[in-house]
Amino acid sequence: MVSATKQGPDPAVPKGGPANAPAAGDSPESHVGPDRPEPRKAPEHTDAVTAGFQRLSFRARIWRRRTLIVTLRVARLVRTGFRRFLPALRYIGRALHRRWRRSLQFRTVLTTLMLAVTSFAVVGAYLSNQIANNLFQERLTQAESETRYNVKQVQDTFDGAQVTDQSSVITLVYDTLNAVEGRGSVIQRRYVFEAVPEQTKPRNRWVESRASDQLTVSVIPPELRKAVQESGKDQYWASTVIPVGTEDRPGIAVGNKVTFNGTVYELYLIYDLNTAQQTLDEIQSVLWAGGAVLVLMIGAIAWYVTRNVVSPVSHAAMVSEKLAAGQLQERMVVRGEDEVARLGASFNHMAASLQEQITQLATLSQMQQRFVSDVSHELRTPLTTVRMAAEVLYDAREEFDPINKRSAELLYNQVERFQSLLSDLLEISRFDAGVAVLDAEPEDILQVVAHVIEGAAPVAAEYGSEIILSAPGGAIIAEMDARRIDRILRNLILNAVEHGEGKPVRVTVAASGTAVGIAVRDHGIGMAPAEAARVFDRFWRADPARARTTGGSGLGLSIAMEDTKLHNGWLQAWGKKGHGANFRLTLPLRQGEEIDKSPVQLEPSDITLPDEADNKNMLVLEAGGAPFVPASTSKETT
Amino acid sequence: MKARILVVDDDEALAEMIGIVLRNDGFEPVFCADGAKALDVFRSSRPDLVLLDLMLPGVDGIEVCRQIRAESDVPIVMLTAKADTSDVVRGLESGADDYVPKPFKPAELVARVRARLRPGDQKAPETLKIADITIDVAGHTVSRGNERISLTPLEFDLLVALARKPWQVFTRELLLEQVWGYRHAADTRLVNVHVQRLRSKIEQDPEAPEVVLTVRGVGYKAGA
Repeated sequence: MVSATKQGPDPAVPKGGPANAPAAGDSPESHVGPDRPEPRKAPEHTDAVTAGFQRLSFRARIWRRRTLIVTLRVARLVRTGFRRFLPALRYIGRALHRRWRRSLQFRTVLTTLMLAVTSFAVVGAYLSNQIANNLFQERLTQAESETRYNVKQVQDTFDGAQVTDQSSVITLVYDTLNAVEGRGSVIQRRYVFEAVPEQTKPRNRWVESRASDQLTVSVIPPELRKAVQESGKDQYWASTVIPVGTEDRPGIAVGNKVTFNGTVYELYLIYDLNTAQQTLDEIQSVLWAGGAVLVLMIGAIAWYVTRNVVSPVSHAAMVSEKLAAGQLQERMVVRGEDEVARLGASFNHMAASLQEQITQLATLSQMQQRFVSDVSHELRTPLTTVRMAAEVLYDAREEFDPINKRSAELLYNQVERFQSLLSDLLEISRFDAGVAVLDAEPEDILQVVAHVIEGAAPVAAEYGSEIILSAPGGAIIAEMDARRIDRILRNLILNAVEHGEGKPVRVTVAASGTAVGIAVRDHGIGMAPAEAARVFDRFWRADPARARTTGGSGLGLSIAMEDTKLHNGWLQAWGKKGHGANFRLTLPLRQGEEIDKSPVQLEPSDITLPDEADNKNMLVLEAGGAPFVPASTSKETT
Repeated sequence: MKARILVVDDDEALAEMIGIVLRNDGFEPVFCADGAKALDVFRSSRPDLVLLDLMLPGVDGIEVCRQIRAESDVPIVMLTAKADTSDVVRGLESGADDYVPKPFKPAELVARVRARLRPGDQKAPETLKIADITIDVAGHTVSRGNERISLTPLEFDLLVALARKPWQVFTRELLLEQVWGYRHAADTRLVNVHVQRLRSKIEQDPEAPEVVLTVRGVGYKAGA
C-alpha cells in the first residue's frame, strides 16, 4: 500500500463536510448578489457595471429593511402563538404527567419505547458507520489499484510517444487522458492533469493543465497536491467534492506523477463515490424504516403485555373501590390458573367473607334497632299507666296519712326519674344502632337559645342563680335539627345551673362566616382537668357520693355529644376546680361544611391563671384556638 | 254537656287509667280495644274527640286514623310510644291533628284534649282573604272562586291564624301556641306536617306555594 497521507474527513459523511462548506459561508444578505454561484469572484464581474452596482446596493438596503420587518412580524407571531398555545401545551403536559403518575401501563409502554428508540439509535449508528466504512474502503482499494494501472498506462504512452510538434503533442496528451475516463457513455473516473509548478519550463511544453469536464485543479485538496508534489513516485489519495452536472458529489482523488517530455505533471484520478453514497443512503433508510417499525412493534407488544398484566390489577382496583363504596356483591372475574387468577380468587374470597360479616353486622344492627323499638313500646305503655296512676295518687296525697303520702311522693318522683332514664337509654341505643338521623333545617339558633333559657329560668330561680345571655343582635341562621340543639343546650344550661352554686351562668353566642359557637359558663365548683376529659362518658359522675342528690340519668352529656356529632359539630369542656366550668358547642352554619375554628373561646377570658400551662385542660376534639369575639357587637339580655 | 272521647287502645290498663283521668276532668270516655272495630264504635258513639294508639292489633292506628278522617273532621289525637320521626310524621300525615308521646302526664293529656275541643273563639261574621283564597270564618268555609275547599278544623284554624295577621311572620313555636294551644317545648314537626297538608289542599301548586309562604329560618306567613 503506497498511500501515505490519510487526510480525508470521515469517509462516512462525505457529504457533510466539504459539500456544505459553500452553503455555510452564506451571509444573510448574500442572496442580494446575483453572482453568488462563483466561488472565486472574477474581477471583471464587479467593475463591469458601476451604475448597476449602485442600483444593487439600493435594492440591498430595501431588502434588508423588508427582511427586518418580516423578521419582526414573524417574531411577534411566534410570541403570540406561543402565548396562546402555552396553556394548551401546559395542559397537555400536565395531562401526560398525570397519566404518567397514574397509569402503570402508560409508564411501562413509554419507558419501553424510549429504551427501544435509544438502543436502536445506538445500534443503527454503529451499523451505518460500519457499512459506510466498508463501502468506502472497498471503493478506495479499487480506486488505488485502478489509478496505479491507469497512471502506468499514461506514463507508458507518454514514454513511447514519438511526437514533436505542438498539435500532435496536444492531441496525444488529450487522447491519452480522455482514454483514462474509460470507454462507454458512463465516465468511470475523472482526471485532473496539472504541471507541477516551479520547474524549469522546457521549450516544447505545450500542455500546461487539463481536466475532465467541469473540473479544475481546485477540486484537489492542497494537502494532497503538496504530498504528491513532494514525493517521488508514490501514490496518495484524499476525499474531495466534485461538481457533476448541477450537484456536488463526494469523490476520492488519487494522485501520482507522470513525466512527459521532461516535464513533471501531477495526475489525479477522481472517482465518483455517488453510487456508494446512494447505496449507503438506501441502507440507512432501510435501517431507519426497519428501526421505526420495530420500535412501533415493541411499543405495541409492551402495550399488549402490560395490558394483560395491568388490566386484572386495575380491574381488582375498580372492584375493591366498588366494594369500599358498599357494593358488596361485586366480584372479580377469575379466568385460568395463573397468578392473576389466584389474586382474583383470593380477592373474591376476601370480598365474600367481608360481605358475610357486614351483612351479619347489618342484621345485628337491624335486630338491635327492632329490639330498641320494641322495648321502647313495650316499656312505655305500662310506664304511662304507672306514671298516670302515680300522678293521680300524688295529686291526692293531702288526703293520705303521712306514710302513704310520703310513699306517693317517692313513687311519683322515682317514676319521673325512671322515665327520664329510660328515654335517655333509648336515645343512646338509637345512636348506637346508627338509626339517629339529622332532620336539619335552616333556623335561627338564637331563638332556640332564648327558648331554652326561658325554659330553664324556673330551675335557675330555684337554685338562686341567673342566666345571662350575651349574643349579637340579629338572627344566626344555621342548618340544624332544632329538637336536638334544644336538647343539647337544655342539658348544658341545666347542668351549669345545677353545678353553678347560685352564681350567674353566662351563655355566649357568636357566629363567624362558617360556624356558630355557644359557650355556657358557670362559676361553680368546677372540675379537675381529668374530670373535664371524662364528662362526656356514659354514666360518669365526678363525685359518686354527691351524684345521687341531683337528678339526671348520667347520659345527658353523652347524648349531647352524640347529637353534636350528628351535626358535624364540636362539643368541648373546660374546667378548673373552684373556678367553674365552660362548655362550648360549635356548629357549622351549613351542613356538610367543616368548622375550622369556633367563634367563641373555650377557655374563659375572665380567668387568669398563674400556672396556666399545667392547669389548663380541655377536651379538644379538634385542634385550633379560637379568638374571643369582642363584646362590642354584643348586647346583653337576661 | 260532657264531651265524649273515644279511647282506642289495646292496653286495657292504660285505657282504664286514661278513662279515670278523663272522667276526673269531666269527660265521658268510650273505649275500644280493637282497631278493626274502631270505626264501628266511632260511628255508634259519635265522639267529640278520638284518642288513638298508633300500634294496635288488627288494623293499625294509622289505618284507623285514615278511615275516621275519611268520614269525619273530628279531632284526632294520637298516642304514640315511638318518638321516631317517621312514625310521628306518618301518623300526622294520615290525618291526626296532634300527638302525645308516651309516657305522658295526665295533665298533659288533658291539656291536649282540651286544646282540640276548644270551641274556638266566638265567631263573628268575618271574611278573610289570602292570595286567591276566601275564608268565611263564621261559616267555617274556605273557597277559591266558587270552588269550596274542605279543610279539617285544625287546618282551618291554622289558615285563619295566618290570615288574620298577614303582615306577621309566625314562628313554628308561635303557631303551636296559637293553633295547638301549647305553652312549651313541643315538636315543631307538627307545624311542618300540617302546613304541608294545608298546602296540598289550598295551593294551586304545592311546590311553589302562594297562600302559605315559608320564611327561611323563621317560619311561615300568609301570601299577599
